Amino acid sequence: MKQRVQPRTLFIGLSLLCLLAVWLSLALGPVSLPLLDTLRAGLRLLGVPIAADGLEQAELILGQIRLPRTLLGLAVGAVLALSGVAMQGLFRNPLADPGLVGVASGAALGAAIAIVGGSWLGGIPEWFAPYLLSVCAFAGGLGVTALVYRLGRRDGQTNVATMLLAGIALTALAGSAVGLFTYLADDATLRTLTFWNLGSLNGASYARLWPLLVVTLAVALWLPRRAQALNALLLGESEARHLGVEVESLKRELVFCTALAVGAAVAAAGLIGFIGLVVPHLVRLLAGPDHRVLLPASLLAGGSLLLFADLVARLALAPAELPIGIVTAFIGAPFFLLLLLKGRH
Amino acid sequence: MRRPAALLALCAALVMSTQAAAAELPQRWVSAGGALSEWISALGGEQRLVGVDTTSQHPDALTALPSIGYQRQLSAEGILSLRPDLLVGTDEMGPPPVLTQIRQAGVRVEVFSSKAELAALDANLEKLGRLLGEEGRAGLLAGQFHHELNAVQTKLKQAQAVQKAPGVLLLVGHAGAKPLIAGAGTAGDWLLGQAGGRNLAVHQGYKNFSVEALAALDPDVIVIADRSLSGEQAVQALLKENPGLASSRAVREKRLVSLDPTLLVGGLGPRLPATLQQLAGEFYPQAKASFAP
Repeated sequence: MKQRVQPRTLFIGLSLLCLLAVWLSLALGPVSLPLLDTLRAGLRLLGVPIAADGLEQAELILGQIRLPRTLLGLAVGAVLALSGVAMQGLFRNPLADPGLVGVASGAALGAAIAIVGGSWLGGIPEWFAPYLLSVCAFAGGLGVTALVYRLGRRDGQTNVATMLLAGIALTALAGSAVGLFTYLADDATLRTLTFWNLGSLNGASYARLWPLLVVTLAVALWLPRRAQALNALLLGESEARHLGVEVESLKRELVFCTALAVGAAVAAAGLIGFIGLVVPHLVRLLAGPDHRVLLPASLLAGGSLLLFADLVARLALAPAELPIGIVTAFIGAPFFLLLLLKGRH
Repeated sequence: MRRPAALLALCAALVMSTQAAAAELPQRWVSAGGALSEWISALGGEQRLVGVDTTSQHPDALTALPSIGYQRQLSAEGILSLRPDLLVGTDEMGPPPVLTQIRQAGVRVEVFSSKAELAALDANLEKLGRLLGEEGRAGLLAGQFHHELNAVQTKLKQAQAVQKAPGVLLLVGHAGAKPLIAGAGTAGDWLLGQAGGRNLAVHQGYKNFSVEALAALDPDVIVIADRSLSGEQAVQALLKENPGLASSRAVREKRLVSLDPTLLVGGLGPRLPATLQQLAGEFYPQAKASFAP
């Protein structure tokens, strides 16, 4: 029997890690702010009355750039990891990731339509234009997932294996449609599309943040309530049914939560791979497969990991910036391999 | 006694006011556009640049400056860390939320046209001149640019009396492999036309062609803009990667020209007239001597 970390220890550790990630994300950046200024500006943002002498710059960078970015990173990391747990639970397969039900490829298709088609369309009202990409990505993710779910249903039953295959087929289909748009795109839109596919927390603003925060909160509150049912599902569908779990409605909820959460995350930050697949694995290696621990722990770990990756993304080449998708895979994959190899002995 | 004091005060006021005017000009510049950076250098503003984007490769000295990344993926905090007074870039610069953040931080952001049009260039130069306090020099450079372009056109008319416009293709590639062909609406198309070439590609934007389709168009001249090789090396790499091209007229007659690909991005730059002269010389070999700069 492998040694497992006690849930209490794990939660304390992960909470501290998360706090550290948040603090570093707020305190570090290409603009070097004195620690004291960061603290005072932070207190001012919290509404503590402190004299504003010479704090304008610090307050602006903290309040308008780093804080929305940190919140975005936390939310995106958290929902990606949670959706990963949901999908791995649903498919009872540790290789499942949120992309499996087509949400990522659907979102990519929506984004491609918005990026390439937006310039042809022209007559978009000005207030809506900045949100076109996010709305299309979200709608694309939700739409393709709904189709995958629909294809997996027969006689009121959802066949997970059919759904998986439908997901693969629709992902390929969406991929070829994205390829077509890539071909039709001119140079400038091509670059935009490429960078979108690598994800970025750059340019986070409160206006784009709040829909994602609402979704994150809803999913983070809802999924842990289904932890017991997910545990039962690990035994198999019929076993879960015998244990009194409403399997059909559980599947529907899991797919819906994933589509909603990943759709919102992708709409806000582009495609960020790896987190959804690997964070649940990492937590499982540490704490075992109990979803009552796995779900909240993945939430904390996902948020922290994404913030650390973002720190690298914005500091490594400062004043330029790396797309975060490159960093998550570059740091995460070797770390994951290391854990796998260690776990074998 | 009174009068000299008043005079002194007046002089002091005058000195102060001119100093104030100079101080109002932005001193620390960040440029996110290749052609813009070139013009800033040409206008003598190079020492004001504190950061440039990845498309700013000319003059060479710019590559030593801190890089703010690609013009469409700017980072607000990264740029603010350079403490600039002014960020200049083309309309391709972005993403928009980042520009908003930079404006909020009190940095002036000036957007220029990236269109390959003379009118756009005139407006850009005038604005740059104003921002640098070099209006006179900007006007001079704009006039010179027009003059050189007109001179090329005049010489082209004479050359075309003897030789008809050659059919040309512009290939943008990477070490010769799988080149993209510049079609209508690209800066490359504009360049070919200005140098008196007839672009045989009629599609929109940059597209991949099969070698067979390339050979069927049978260009008189092939222009190669290679991102990783230059000069004769680029020509050799293209022929090596695409042996099918050997049957085309351009290859048989050895009329392959290499072009610096950095000329194709971010609007019209100061190196363009010289490039046009060189291209026109290659397009009209009989009149080559007249196109010498």
